Amino acid sequence: MIDILNVTKIFNGYVALNSVSLNVKEGELVALLGPSGSGKTTLLRIIAGLERADGGQIRFGGEDATGLSARDRQVGFVFQHYALFRHMTVFDNVAFGLRVRPRSTRPSVEETRIRVMELLDLVHIAHLGGRYPTQLSGGQRQRVALARALAIEPRVLLLDEPFGALDAQVRKDLRRWLRRLHDSLGLTGVFVTHDQEEALEVADRVVVMSQGTFEQVGTPAEIYDNPVSPFVYRFLGNVNSLSCRVRYGRAVGEGFDFPAPEFEGIRDAAGILFVRPHDLEITDPGQGNSVTATVGHQTILGPIARVELRGPRGEDLEVELTRARHAELGLEGGAKVGIVPRRARLFLDEALHGAERDMNGADIRAVS
Amino acid sequence: MTSLNIFPQSPADIRPVLTDPPWARTLLTGMALAFLGLFLFLPLVAVFGEALAKGLGAYVSAIVEPDALAAVRLTLLAAAIAVPLNLVFGVAAAWAIAKFRFPGRGLLISLIELPFSVSPVISGLIYVLMFGAQGWLAPVTQSLGLQILFAVPGIVLATLFVTFPFVARELIPLMEEQGTDEEQAAMMLGASGWRILFWITLPNVRWGLLYGVLLCNARAMGEFGAVSVVSGHIRGLTNTMPLHVEILYNEYNFAAAFAVASLLAGLALVTLAAKSALEWRMGCHGASTH
Repeated sequence: MIDILNVTKIFNGYVALNSVSLNVKEGELVALLGPSGSGKTTLLRIIAGLERADGGQIRFGGEDATGLSARDRQVGFVFQHYALFRHMTVFDNVAFGLRVRPRSTRPSVEETRIRVMELLDLVHIAHLGGRYPTQLSGGQRQRVALARALAIEPRVLLLDEPFGALDAQVRKDLRRWLRRLHDSLGLTGVFVTHDQEEALEVADRVVVMSQGTFEQVGTPAEIYDNPVSPFVYRFLGNVNSLSCRVRYGRAVGEGFDFPAPEFEGIRDAAGILFVRPHDLEITDPGQGNSVTATVGHQTILGPIARVELRGPRGEDLEVELTRARHAELGLEGGAKVGIVPRRARLFLDEALHGAERDMNGADIRAVS
Repeated sequence: MTSLNIFPQSPADIRPVLTDPPWARTLLTGMALAFLGLFLFLPLVAVFGEALAKGLGAYVSAIVEPDALAAVRLTLLAAAIAVPLNLVFGVAAAWAIAKFRFPGRGLLISLIELPFSVSPVISGLIYVLMFGAQGWLAPVTQSLGLQILFAVPGIVLATLFVTFPFVARELIPLMEEQGTDEEQAAMMLGASGWRILFWITLPNVRWGLLYGVLLCNARAMGEFGAVSVVSGHIRGLTNTMPLHVEILYNEYNFAAAFAVASLLAGLALVTLAAKSALEWRMGCHGASTH
């Protein structure tokens, strides 16, 4: 439905987008995920026609839209701060897109009223039609912005940080609601976010961006389970990193020695073992493949317990346990324990092997 | 060695740090009020007092006198031409400066401010240099048979020049603060450039625009220096109200001079009231911008 072909954007010599390509399928909801400055908003604005690409093509349904102005693209856009028309009521905001149509396709006053009321109903704010934007809460403004964007029956819906300005609880509710709405309308959509949880929960596919390039494109499960680079791994949640040496297909570090058959051909290289906090198990020190660490601060976070530890080289480590397991262990501050990765991912140290980025990570499964 | 006394001795000493003692507040407020009374309020009273010194009849006859009426008409005409032109120009300039980044933007801002930094008399002289008998543009105007200097066109031009910045200066900060998000949203919804201007941009700045027009109008009607240089002071033809006041005054016709002056003072009071009302409106709306 949306084809992004080798799109490049340069701002005053700074490459904001470096020849990126993506195909968004009909009815798909894609998240552009990345830190600020990764080019995700620029890409969204180029799809919308609010920004002109310095190279490459945008196609909608196979038709070239690169030269089409934003007003002719028939794209619904929800702005980060909603950009509601402050001097118009909610009703007039939503009706705007219908009222500015050329006379030949403009619906009558009555048709407009019916259409706007349908939209307000759809986003559950039918009772707020007479209010002004300043009289609404953040979540309500978000719904108005969405209804206004949907009024023009867009081929594509684009959302810039749709939940960025909302507080945590409203965010959660709205994002589930948006997902259901998307499914019921069957729209093709792209949204920008810097929040990995949001991207993983809402999107069909996630594009992880960094410095104007796509680091990885895949379903939320693929991205989370098989990050292709340390950047993606780090970006998708808390992570522990243990430095090691990679020698003839084994990852050898302080207290551990795991098989890493993917790296069979490497004689000796620096590597980093990434482990998620919930993939670490705490045992007695010095048992088999375990890293010896000192227990530090412990925090109870609702259903889980988080234990901070200090590793053999002074590195900060973090383990997440169930409350039951935590109680069973009865850890005391300063105690020596062993930590065992249940599941880890090995990357060669990029600082030393920048050119070998293709030799990307491989899963390590600890055998205990 | 004495220890620092951090805590106040008695409750009386506890006063918010940023509040001055009562006597200081009274003194400062009193001084400000006395100053205003002496330099603003008393002269205003004096204007109306002098205007009515010879009775209501003399006051009315000074105003309905043909030369005075001609001056009123000319002043209204100059304002009626200068204000709409500067309104259109101000909106265009503010729109360009606030919503776009282009080379020469800084220069344009400086040029808009220029009339404020130049003495009005100099502005008038510039027109004399351009359109006078030996002026740069004299050959052009003479060949076209146009009389600019010492005639109505000169007065309108001078008024245009000095009132140039008011609307633009009022709108630029307002438009910059509002940004271009709403315009972009309107564009995404399919609105054309004119639609965006009339449905989004202008309604959003309407109070600021009115305020700018009001100030522009007050200056257009009250301008003395620039107009004085280009007018030629021909009674009944090229005299505006401020110039007429001066002439009457120089002829020791105080009651008539103050009578016409009282009209200008009245305009100032109306402007002030309208300005306060607008500021109040803008305050309400300003607070509501997210």
